[in-house]
Amino acid sequence: MTKCYGTTVTALDQLTITVAPGITGLIGANGSGKSTLIKILLGLLEPTSGTAAVLGHDCVTDGFAIRTLTGYMPEHDCLPPDVTATELVTHFGRMSGLPATAARERAADSLRHVALYEERYRQIGTYSTGMKQRVKLAQALVGDPRLLLLDEPTNGLDPAGRTAMLELIARIGTEFGISVLVASHLLGEIEQICDQLVAIDAGRLLRADTISSVTQASAALLVEVDEGVDLLAAELVKRGLAPAPFQRGLLLQLAGDETYDIVRDSVADLGLPLSRMEQRRHRIEELFRADPELADEPRAEAPGSQTIGVPSAS
Amino acid sequence: MPADAQAAATASSTPGNSPAQTSGVIHNIGYRRYDAARLGRAAIVRALIWQSLRSAFGIGRGAKAKIFPALLFGLMCLPAAVNAVALATTPGGGGSIVSYDGYIPSLRTVVMLIFVAIEAPNLVSADLRNHTLPLYFARPIRRLDYPVAKLVAFVLACLLMVEIPLILLWVGIASQEHGARGVWEQTLRLGPGLLYGAAWAVLLASIGLLLASTTGKRVFAMCAIGIPLFFSYILAHVLTQIGAQAFGPAGFGQPSALSSLAGLISPFTLLGGLLRWAQGNPAIGPAYHPLQPTTIGSYGPVYGVVFVVLTVAAIAGLIARYRKVGVA
Repeated sequence: MTKCYGTTVTALDQLTITVAPGITGLIGANGSGKSTLIKILLGLLEPTSGTAAVLGHDCVTDGFAIRTLTGYMPEHDCLPPDVTATELVTHFGRMSGLPATAARERAADSLRHVALYEERYRQIGTYSTGMKQRVKLAQALVGDPRLLLLDEPTNGLDPAGRTAMLELIARIGTEFGISVLVASHLLGEIEQICDQLVAIDAGRLLRADTISSVTQASAALLVEVDEGVDLLAAELVKRGLAPAPFQRGLLLQLAGDETYDIVRDSVADLGLPLSRMEQRRHRIEELFRADPELADEPRAEAPGSQTIGVPSAS
Repeated sequence: MPADAQAAATASSTPGNSPAQTSGVIHNIGYRRYDAARLGRAAIVRALIWQSLRSAFGIGRGAKAKIFPALLFGLMCLPAAVNAVALATTPGGGGSIVSYDGYIPSLRTVVMLIFVAIEAPNLVSADLRNHTLPLYFARPIRRLDYPVAKLVAFVLACLLMVEIPLILLWVGIASQEHGARGVWEQTLRLGPGLLYGAAWAVLLASIGLLLASTTGKRVFAMCAIGIPLFFSYILAHVLTQIGAQAFGPAGFGQPSALSSLAGLISPFTLLGGLLRWAQGNPAIGPAYHPLQPTTIGSYGPVYGVVFVVLTVAAIAGLIARYRKVGVA
């Protein structure tokens, strides 16, 4: 199975990406064109120019086939409050082309997967934000898609809910064997579960790479000692690193295992009380900064990023 | 689900692997693929029609949603029931007091006005308000399948509201007939009544859905339907009266143009005029009711044309509305 897209639209400026199966993180700030890209992939919006293909089907001419094979979880609230989760998910199972009995079975399955089995006969209006988020995922999952397009699945979730949601997405991608495209504005969040990462900003491609190469380039090490920060900094400079003061500790560019070794040796040689050594995740802005020639470009296109609204009536 | 797939899924699931879990934690159960055949677009649209039709009568929506449809349906059937009882208890038979074609126009007007104002928003406004439409558009149907399915469902719902009482009326009358010939005669009279009822269903359903699809707020949608329908009805009646009093009452010679054309203003009087035209324009016919403008003069064909144009325009408007509606 392959899925590849190369989109060229005004909102998504000269964007050309090809994505392999697995879990793909689509990362970008709010309004950077993540949702637009997903809607184009679903065939809901038509690209102004260029082409896009999902699972081998063209998004413009064959959106119908794509929608048979994909599940979509929108970013915004999209659930009616006055029906139960079972009714809603069963209904959308039928809308995905399942016969009535299969829709009921798969709705129960999907709701179990998202841990709403006990609450499934309650009206959705009585659910918490986290539960609603999981119902949205269940309705995307009910039709047994080959590809899930998840737009900000962790929106509005508390830390525990985020972790659970990310674990579930990871399981969908690995155990269930469904390819997933997760849009998010939090790199730290989706880098834990993604195989590859696509970063876009103002509709431009910043980076499309496997997750390991992206995080390697942007990973940092935070070192905290109870005393003698200045001593340690001097020692690290001597050993060829470039520590930057950060809060009560030092921030180092993480080049690999040898960075840990250098820090360990320095601390041991100086006899300092090491209290914390932590690999830090760069935020999305820092990822942008890693690519200076792109980050410096004017972002005049940004306001127009939501303007393509040509609905696909195919 | 085939047995082997189920077995494979059970094998791949790893219960007990996960640490002790509290309620709300995502449980680790195996994933089962769906390998059986999928239904096509037509079947999906049929499923949506069926779901919408049930929902128009509150089925699958909780007890509260059933109150008004049941009440209105009961009210609509009342004349048929009264007629049946009257026929059965009158020795010698005095003839039916309710006609197939007009039924009771004022009752039908009131009941259908309320039914459309309540149920049309329920069919389309809720999905707009809750932003549920993207979930539909992300599924293997075409964009216009949604409004078409909703329209078909609502026309069917209105048909049930209008036609079932007519059939009950026919049952009540036919059961008092002696011999197959009498029953056949009644059946022949029922036919045009059903056809006329269908005109009601098609016109009111398309206007109702168009108006309801303009707003996502249920109360606004109810007003958007109820207020124009009600006031146009009143206005049509008032204008008919003015026309009659200013230019001579209807029934004496040729009625004035104002009286004759005022009925075009409201869908209900338009339907009244349509019937009048179909009946060959009697001055006062079996469908006569003080609230129903019954004067169309020589403008019968205009009523026919306006009926068709209005229906087509409402359907086209509904389609155009969903062609444009945002996906987010």
